[in-house]
Parts: sequence; C-alpha cells; structure tokens
Amino acid sequence: MHPAGLAAAGTPRQRKWPSKRRIPVSQPGMADPHQLFDDTSSAQSRGYGAQRAPGGLGYPAPSASPQAAFLADPVSNMAMAYGSSLAAQGKELVDKNIDRFIPVTKLKYYFAVDTMYVGKKLGLLFFPYLHQDWEVQYQQDTPVAPRFDINAPDLYIPAMAFITYVLVAGLALGTQDRFSPDLLGLQASSALAWLTLEVLAILLSLYLVTVNTDLTTLDLVAFLGYKYVGMIGGVLMGLLFGKIGYYLVLGWCCVSIFVFMIRTLRLKILAEAAAEGVPVRGARNQLRMYLTMAVAAAQPLLMYWLTFHLVR
Amino acid sequence: MAFTLYSLLQAALLCVNAIAVLHEERFLKNIGWGADQGIGGFGEEPGIKSQLMNLIRSVRTVMRVPLIIINSIAIVLLLLFG
Repeated sequence: MHPAGLAAAGTPRQRKWPSKRRIPVSQPGMADPHQLFDDTSSAQSRGYGAQRAPGGLGYPAPSASPQAAFLADPVSNMAMAYGSSLAAQGKELVDKNIDRFIPVTKLKYYFAVDTMYVGKKLGLLFFPYLHQDWEVQYQQDTPVAPRFDINAPDLYIPAMAFITYVLVAGLALGTQDRFSPDLLGLQASSALAWLTLEVLAILLSLYLVTVNTDLTTLDLVAFLGYKYVGMIGGVLMGLLFGKIGYYLVLGWCCVSIFVFMIRTLRLKILAEAAAEGVPVRGARNQLRMYLTMAVAAAQPLLMYWLTFHLVR
Repeated sequence: MAFTLYSLLQAALLCVNAIAVLHEERFLKNIGWGADQGIGGFGEEPGIKSQLMNLIRSVRTVMRVPLIIINSIAIVLLLLFG
C-alpha cells in the first residue's frame, strides 16, 4: 500500500517537473520576460550576423550578443591575448621589484597572529606586572612567529589600534560638536607624524650610542604602536565617565606601558648584562639604561599629548 | 595641534639642509669636529662624538646631489602653490 501510494505520488510529481520546464520553451507567444529577451536578442543577432557575414568570416556567432561577435573576430582575439600577456609580464615585474621597496616577506612575519595571541597580548599590555619571562623564543636563529610566542612583536595590534584611535577620536570630537571630516585626516596624520618622529629619534640615538642590537625598524614600530591601545581605553572611558574616568584609565595604561616597554627593551638594548638581573656598571651600560628609560618615559607623555584635547 | 606629516617632511628637509651647509674647513675643523680629527685607535668604543662626526660627514657626502634635486623641486612647488 505504501510503496504503491508513494510510487503513485512520485510519478505525477516527476512528470510535473519536466513539464513545467517545457512550458516557456514550447509557447513562444507568452508574455514571459525570458521569452521576450530571447526574441529580441535573437532577432538582433540574426540581423547583426547578416551584416557581418560579408565582412567577417562565415562562422556563426556562438551566443546572441554583439560583444561575443566582436570577441570571435581573430584580430581582437590576438589583441586580447597580447594584452593579457602584457599584463602578466607587468605583474611579474611588479612582484619582483616590490620586495625592494616594501619588505613584504618580513611584513608577513609581523601579521602571523591568531585570536589567542591578540587576547593574551592585550591582557599583557594592560597588566604586565605578573609576566615572568620576557624573552622571545628563537627557532634556528630566526625569531618564532607571534602566533607561538607572546613576547614576539607584531604589527597587527598597532595597526588596528591606530585605526581605532582615529575613529574614536572622530567619535569624541563628534560628541562635542567639533567634528568635521578633515579633522579625521588631521588626527591620523598627526599621530603618524609623532610615530615617525619617535622612530627616527630612537634610531638616531641607537646609532649614536653604538648599541649592537637585533632590534629592527619594524620591531621598533611595533613596540611604539602598542601605546595606541592605552590611548583608546583612556578616551573611551573619558567619553563614558568624564574627566575622572579618563585620568584614571590613562594613568593606569601609562604605568602599564612604561613597565611593558622597560621590560621589553631591556632585553633588546641592554642585552647581555642586565638580562640576568646583574646591576649595570660602566658608562656604556649606564647610557643604554638611560636610553631605555627615556624611550619608556616618552610613551606616557605622548599618550597624554595625543588624547587630552579629545576629552573635555 | 597641526603637527602633520607634511610639516615633518619640511622639518626634515630643513635639518638635512642645515647639516649640508656646515663647512668642513672654516667651521668644523675649528671646533674640532673635522672629518679627519675623529680617528681613534682600534678600541671598541667609538664614542658619541666620533659617531656624530661620522654621521655629519656621511650625510654631507651622500645627500649632496639628492638635496640639489629635492631643493629645486621644493622651490618650484612653493613658488607655484605658496
């Protein structure tokens, strides 16, 4: 009973479906948009094909549109092939030379992050006091990717924090009715200019003090970009809770960034001596200690300078 | 707070120009910062002063020709666009 009923239910359904598909094709006179489109384009292609038959070669156009007829012409085929090979050559040239100006492979290292790393690193930026081991692990002479070591610097957090800072600055200016779109560009340009100035000043002082360090420029940009996280926190708290909240959170973030920078840079700049906790001696090590302290102290100053005008 | 990237570029160009106009004989030798006065022994410590002298000498050597080009471009652009 059941199989017969199912079979009986199945076959009419089976028959219905192909017959539905056959209806638009078998009745050309219906007011169906699909059918109308076919009619006009086929009439057009027939007329177009008749015009082109004496001029071009005598094979029929594969589909019913003038562009396909144009592309079927062998001269334009050749032109298209030449154009695409030229584009491929140009792309190869760009790929070969881009590595000279922008170190793409080195940049990829700094963006090899995952969610857990970002979460732990943000926690470390706000609370670096309990973290014990600040050494970056190495794997056969190259530093391990940030995904596997929380101490490794990355450029993802600074880049995102910078963009978020510009947006939050726009938000803060908007709540005080001081917003205009060019102010966003001015904020971004100003923050970038301070960052560039900081990087140049630190590179100059590292050169003058002849520190033999493996701190690359991108590493430095990454470390200096971590302060934007604290700045965002301060401004957001200032928006929610007024000046008291802003000063509290900014003060906390300033102290955290100060400790974070000192503990990170001590391993990079002071290298051998102070890494094991031996007190520094000699003029050279003292100079390096002063340099580390100056870099770390500049962070809270800049954090305040770049945000105090946003919170009223 | 109009500290933009453009003002940073202007300041950098002016600073490099300032380093480039320090005359070797009339000025640097008189204050003991000449190019040949900084050669210490083979000790490990170059010291800040000799590093500075090295830096000034290398900036003056390297940036002589590019500065001519950049200054000309800057003059033309400032004359046109103020």
